[in-house]
Order: sequence, then structure tokens, then C-alpha cells
Amino acid sequence: MEETPTSWFMRVTVTVLFLFLLAPVLLVFPISFSGDQVLAFPPSSWSLRWYDSLLENKVMMSAFLTSLGLATVVTILSLIIAIPASYAIVRLKVTGSEFLFNLFTAPLLLPTIVLGLAILIIFASIGFLATFTGLVIGHLVITLPYALRVLSVSLGNLNLACEEAASSLGAKPLVIFRRVTLPMMAPGIVAATALCFLVSFDEVVITLFLTGPRMTTLPVELFHHVESQADPLVASVSVLLILMTLGVVMIVDRTMGLTKAFVK
Amino acid sequence: MTTATFDLPVGSQKSTSAAGIAIALLLPIALVNAIGFILPVLNLARMSFNEALPGGGIADAFTVANWTGLLQDGFYIELITNSIVVSLGITLATLLVSYPIALYLHRASGAWRTFLTVLVISPLLTSAVVRTYGWIALLADQGPVANAIAAMGFQPPRMMFNTTGVVIGLTEILMPYMILSLMAGFGRLDPKVEEAARTLGATPFRTFRRVILPLTVPGIALGCLLCFVLAISSFITPKLMGGGRVFLLATEIYDQAIVTLNWPLAATLSMLVLIIFGAALAVYSRILRMIEG
Amino acid sequence: MMHQTIKRDGVETVGDPYLCLEGVNKKYGLVEVISNLNLEVRKGELIALLGPSGCGKTTTLRMIAGLIAPTAGRIAVGGRDVTHIAPHGRDMGLVFQSYALFPHMTVAKNVAFGLEMRDLSRAEIAQKVAKALAMVQLEHLAGRKPRELSGGQQQRVALARALVIEPSILLLDEPLSNLDAKLRDEMRAQIRDIQQQLGITTVFVTHDQVEALSMCDRIVVMKGGLIEQVGTPHEIYERPATPFVASFVGRTNRVKGKCMVDGGIQIGSSIIRAASVETPGDVTVMVRPHRILIDWDATSTGQGETANRIAASLSRITFVGDVIQFHFDVDGCEFIVEESTKKAQATHRPGEKAMLSWNVGDTLVFGADQ
Repeated sequence: MEETPTSWFMRVTVTVLFLFLLAPVLLVFPISFSGDQVLAFPPSSWSLRWYDSLLENKVMMSAFLTSLGLATVVTILSLIIAIPASYAIVRLKVTGSEFLFNLFTAPLLLPTIVLGLAILIIFASIGFLATFTGLVIGHLVITLPYALRVLSVSLGNLNLACEEAASSLGAKPLVIFRRVTLPMMAPGIVAATALCFLVSFDEVVITLFLTGPRMTTLPVELFHHVESQADPLVASVSVLLILMTLGVVMIVDRTMGLTKAFVK
Repeated sequence: MTTATFDLPVGSQKSTSAAGIAIALLLPIALVNAIGFILPVLNLARMSFNEALPGGGIADAFTVANWTGLLQDGFYIELITNSIVVSLGITLATLLVSYPIALYLHRASGAWRTFLTVLVISPLLTSAVVRTYGWIALLADQGPVANAIAAMGFQPPRMMFNTTGVVIGLTEILMPYMILSLMAGFGRLDPKVEEAARTLGATPFRTFRRVILPLTVPGIALGCLLCFVLAISSFITPKLMGGGRVFLLATEIYDQAIVTLNWPLAATLSMLVLIIFGAALAVYSRILRMIEG
Repeated sequence: MMHQTIKRDGVETVGDPYLCLEGVNKKYGLVEVISNLNLEVRKGELIALLGPSGCGKTTTLRMIAGLIAPTAGRIAVGGRDVTHIAPHGRDMGLVFQSYALFPHMTVAKNVAFGLEMRDLSRAEIAQKVAKALAMVQLEHLAGRKPRELSGGQQQRVALARALVIEPSILLLDEPLSNLDAKLRDEMRAQIRDIQQQLGITTVFVTHDQVEALSMCDRIVVMKGGLIEQVGTPHEIYERPATPFVASFVGRTNRVKGKCMVDGGIQIGSSIIRAASVETPGDVTVMVRPHRILIDWDATSTGQGETANRIAASLSRITFVGDVIQFHFDVDGCEFIVEESTKKAQATHRPGEKAMLSWNVGDTLVFGADQ
């Protein structure tokens, strides 16, 4: 089929469509080096002024630190909560475990705009709005389903015989979990960590309902910034966000590569 | 042995402590689920039957006024129809631009395929705010797209702060979902079937229409369901690219909740979104049954 | 070295039962996979649970290990009732079909695991691990991860890991089925040697009759959750209790016949005799293929009172390497006779007549209901 004109036509089409798909992401890189006062492409001059202005922007920097802290806390809590839950569902096979799994992953089925509003109304009545606690719980609602899914699959794929072998060698259930099950789940745990971190760090819609002037996250601040003025500052923040995501993905790839070999 | 999976070892199955341990392990996730999901959603459903008082007050009542008001108000009827029509348009556009990529990826192999798949997934890892910002830069009045059209001697249309911009932006943002769904559906498309059709004398176009297209309908249906549902509930892109001039369900929910502080109305609109979700799902399973039965 | 009292090949062994299964039963819902199983294993004995897949042999082994709880019945080791003791309190060494080595630990760490669970001192652990690895000749691989080892090496690590804790019983679940044929022969001998050296009571699950016959003191043949026969390899082979055992262990000819009042058995137009007597009526007759002699002249008279003789005609010859199989037709029944390749001559042609003869004692007769 290679030589037919259809194939040639197809290649051009696919190239154009790929350009369309990647254009907005690729565009932020040159814009971030713009020397212009306002958003324009191509920029009339080049400079690092928007990276400088980002570092001097106290609101953005504090929002960045909030996001970093929030994503870290949410990720750690997600693991602490989802690992035991996946063990109970996959290994202990409690009655109705399938129902529980569906219930705990159901928040992913709801549009975030609806979920955000629903959480806003409840949190307003218990004073959780614009608090770190409120943000942590709000994010957990959507990171836990991801974590539970990834960890359950990882746990389900483990060779049960290894745990049985440990048991026959005299290890008690808790020791088996700590010394055999948990280390063997390592790839799943790495994947869940990365996923939770990225989901929490990037979350906008639910967070938009839960933040306030007192406490805001980087994506929300970015959203408000774009809403009010479109200057190249957003591009420099975007570049940093993209690079950070890339970093996380590469760390995962590295560790997964290692751990994949490790568990075969 | 397969039977082993039904079993728990001696000393862990009959004791009541096993159930206790399971409950303890599930308690934290159940708590978050209850506080952050079940309770809010039930409360939201209840809220849609409360009475909104002027100035953001809410009266505990049980009234269907929000619902009847919504369905009698010309503005909301138009909002709902507009949302559905725009979302359907976005879904169709996404399908058209995604199908060639998915087909090409399905036929590609090895490292090239892996590389292209990563390219397709990578936008998913980028914040919707960042991608929308990219589109604002591209589609601005003096932006590169407008300049290119002008250079070709045409009068560039306005593409920002109107439905055109929202459709273009959302189409691009939803592409990865559509491509991945289509590829999942292409699993049943064996290159040998295509070859067989070609050796039987079918032209490439006829092969596509008579063989490839019917086999890929399940993937198309899944992708369309996903994109429609995501489009009608999308908020970031319509809000930023619509410039307050494009009225869609999600932006209206936000405005009612945050700006007007009419929570009962926002709740009613949210429930409406969920009802549209359910309807889309029903249509989807209907289509699946039709092609499989 | 210690327990050399056990002799092989049918010689009766002395010793009290060490592992006892009494009335053990396992149900999954309404399906009974093990029904009323009674078994006694003597100390130092290597016993095989032999049977086709789904016969309940692995379930039985897992119940002994405590990985599955029996629905009813009692399991005791050395007089101690362990039925309700969790696997980690049973002190049994278990080798899995998949080896189940801990992928994140080195070979030495894998072997040390059970000792660490017993809170031994570091020096003691190091010494025992070294000794165990030496026993399976893997000292040089102590620092490797399991994925870096071959199947045979992984198998030996699994064995060392199970043995280093000096378990009261060693349980082997199809330990050789993932190895290639040549390695399997080597490992068979090595496992038997180590078992004899340590004199450890061992239960060995296998579906391979050659493995069971060549390694074990006694064999338990199972089918459909029931024990068909328990006996030494010799007994199982020579005096199978049921047609199933006869055909599962070793190759056999199986033809239908009619037992008459005088004890003679009619097959087609020939009458043969068996050492045992069945009640008159339809019977199944079995004869091992290599126990039959072929008399190509077909003229010479009988070889004495002990011989059965029937006239047959050659229908097909199959060459299978070590042996040649002659397929004979006896009034519509097929008899296969095996001769070693060296002895047999390939000059015979289908249609040729011959007399088949075998000892009366080699005739196995089973009532038709079995």
C-alpha cells in the first residue's frame, strides 16, 4: 500500500493533524522568550524578561509553593489510604468488594464542574473553603480513584505463591505484607505516585471552587491570570509546568524501567 | 490451581477479626468518599429542590420551581440546546480530525508507533489552561492564524471570544481521548481483512467504506460518547476562549454558583448535565447493541 | 545419612505414621473436590500424590501446608493436630511449581528469609544459608537476583529455601514440571539424594508417572478427589487396584472379555487365564505391552501351564525410538506388543500371523463395573 497515492495523501493529512494537535503546546515555548509587553506571535523581540517577572511575582510564586505542598501531601495521603484499601479489596476479598471498588472510583465518572460545585456547597457549611485541609480532601476525591485503580491492578498481577511461600516459611501476615507484598508492588506504587502528583498539581476546576484570595494554587492563579490579561507571563509558567511534568514522567520511566526488570 | 483463589489460608477466614481488619483498611477511603463524594452529590441533588432567595440566600424547602423555571425560561432552553448542539459539533469535528491519526497509528509499528503514541498522549499531561492559552495566542485577532489567512488574501474571521474559538480549542483538547478510543476499537481491524478486500478488487475508497468503517464503529461510538460527555461538561476552554459571550452549561453552572450565588439553580443545572450524561450513555449502549445484535 | 531404614521396592517399612490425614474433605459450595481422604505418611518417607490435573492432589498438598482450610477432617503431624494452625505456624517447607522466589531479594536473602522469621542470630543465619546453598551447589550465585538464574537454578534455590528451615515436612508441588526433559532427570536424582541424606518426610505432587515411580517410596494415585490406590511403585505397577491405575501408570493393552464359570476368560475366540478370579460376566483385561512375547512361527506349542496363548495377525508397525510397537488384531481387539529396537526385526509385514503369549500372572482382570 506504500506507493499508492492514498498513502501519500494520508501522510500529509496526518502530519497536518499532528501539527494541529501539538500547536498550542509547542507555541508556548517561543512565546515565553518574548520581549514584548503583550501576547503576540511571533514576538517582535526576544528576552528572558517574563521568566524574571515570574520570579518577582509573589502571587504566582506562593501559588506555586502551595501547589507543590498540596500535591505532595495529597500524593502521600493517597498512597497511605489507597494501599490498604486495594489490599482489602483485592486480597481479603471482602463481601461486595466489586461494589466497593466501583463506589470508590465513581468520582471519576462525574464532571469536575458538578463535583466541584457539590463539594463547594458542603465545604461552605463546614468552613473548609480556602483552607489547606479543604483542598487536600477535594483533591483526594479524585486522586484516590486513580491510585486505587493502579494499585489494585498491580496487586492483582502479583504472584500469590510468593506470599504463600513467605507464609510457609514462618512469616506472619503483617511481615509478609511489609517484606514481600509491598516491595513487589513497587512499580504500581511508583506509577500511582506520579499519577496522583500530576493530577493534584494540574487540577483546576474543583480547586477553582475551593480556593479563595487567602489560598490559591498555581493552575487556578494561571486561570485567573489568563481570564484577566493575556501576557507572555503565562507562557513562562506553562514552560515550567511542562518541564516539571516531563521530569516526573522521566523519573517514572526510569524507575519503572528498573523495577520492571526487577519484578520481571 | 485456579481453586486457590477462592481460598484464604487457615487462621484467617473464620475469625471475626478478619472482617474487622478489612473494615479498618477500608475506613479511610470510605470516609473520604463519603465526605467528598456521596454526601456532596446527595446534597446537590437535594439542593436542586431548595428555594433560592434574593442575595444568595437559600430557603430549606421542597419545590420543583427551579426545574419548572428552567424549562420555561427561553434563555435556559436556548442555553441547553446550544450546549448540546455545540458539543455534538465538537464531537463530530474531533472525530474527523482524529480518525486519520488513529488509523495511521494503528497501521504503524515498532518504535515509530510508540513515539507517535507518546506524542498523542503528551497533551493529556499538559494543563487545559496552558493549551487554551496556546490557542488564545494562535487565534488572536492579530495572531498567526489570522495573519496567514490575511496573507492568502482573505478577510480573517473573528476566532476569539466566540463559538468558533471554543470549538477549535475543545476539538484539539479532546483529540487524544478520541484517538485513544478509536485505537482501542481498531483492535478488531486485522490488516489481512483490508488486504483481502483489496485482492478481491475493491478500490481503496470502497475498501474504506465497506470494510474498514463498519469494523471500527464500536471505537467510533466509544470515542464520540467520551468526547460529547467531556465537551458538554467542559469549563476551562469555554470560559477563557468564550470571553463571557459563549454561554454553555458548565460556564453557567460556575457563574450561578460563584457570581450570582444562586446555588439551587446551579445545582439544578448540574443535575441536568448528569441527566444528559445518562441520555448519552443510553444512546451509546443502544448503538452498541444495534451493531452487535 | 540418618534415616536409612526405609528400603525401596516393596519391602515393608517400619515406623509410625508421622503425617496423618483423617477424613479430610474439601468442598467449594456444593462441589466436593476432596472426599473423605485418609492417608498416613511415615517419618522419612518420600510419598507421591499422582494423578491427572483436577484430581485434587494439589488441593491436598495445599491443605497439608495450611494454605487452604479443609471443610471437614483432621490433619496431624507427629501426633500434633495442625488442622487449625496457620501456615506460618506449621513448620513445613514448600516448593512451588512456579518456585515463587522473592523477585526483589538476592538468592542468599531468599534462603535466609525463613531463618530471619525464626529470629536466629546473623552468624547462624549466614552459616546455615551457606550450608544450604552448598547442598544445592549454588554457593557462587548467592548474590544474584532470581531473574538472573536459569529455571533449574531457581528450582534449586526454592529447594534450599524450603529446606534451610529444617521443616518437619517437605512439600513439593510439581517442582520439575517447568524444566526441560534432560534437566528434569538430573533434578529427580538430586532431590531424591537430598531427601535421603536428610531423611526428611516428603510429599511430592506430580502428574508424571515416571517421576513418581522413580523417586518415591510410595505412591498415592488419585482421581476425582478420591484415592484410587496407595502402594509402593512396584505394587502400583504390577498390581494396580483399578483399571484407572493400570492405564495411568505405565502403558497397557485394554480389551473387553467375558469371564466364565471355570475362571477362564474369553477374548474373541481365544480363552486365557488370570491369576485372580473375577465373578462371571463382562470383564476388562489388561496386559502390559512389553510382557507379551511374539512367536512368529505360530507353530510351536505352549511354553508351559503358566502361559496364555492367542492367535493374532499383525496390522501395523510403529517405530518409537527405543522400542518398536507391533499392533496385532485378535478377533477385532487390538493388542500392542513392544520389543526393544535391537531385538525386533523390521522384516515383518502387516497381515503376518503370529502367536502372542504371556504369563498368567501378567494378566490384569477387572470387573466391567470398574
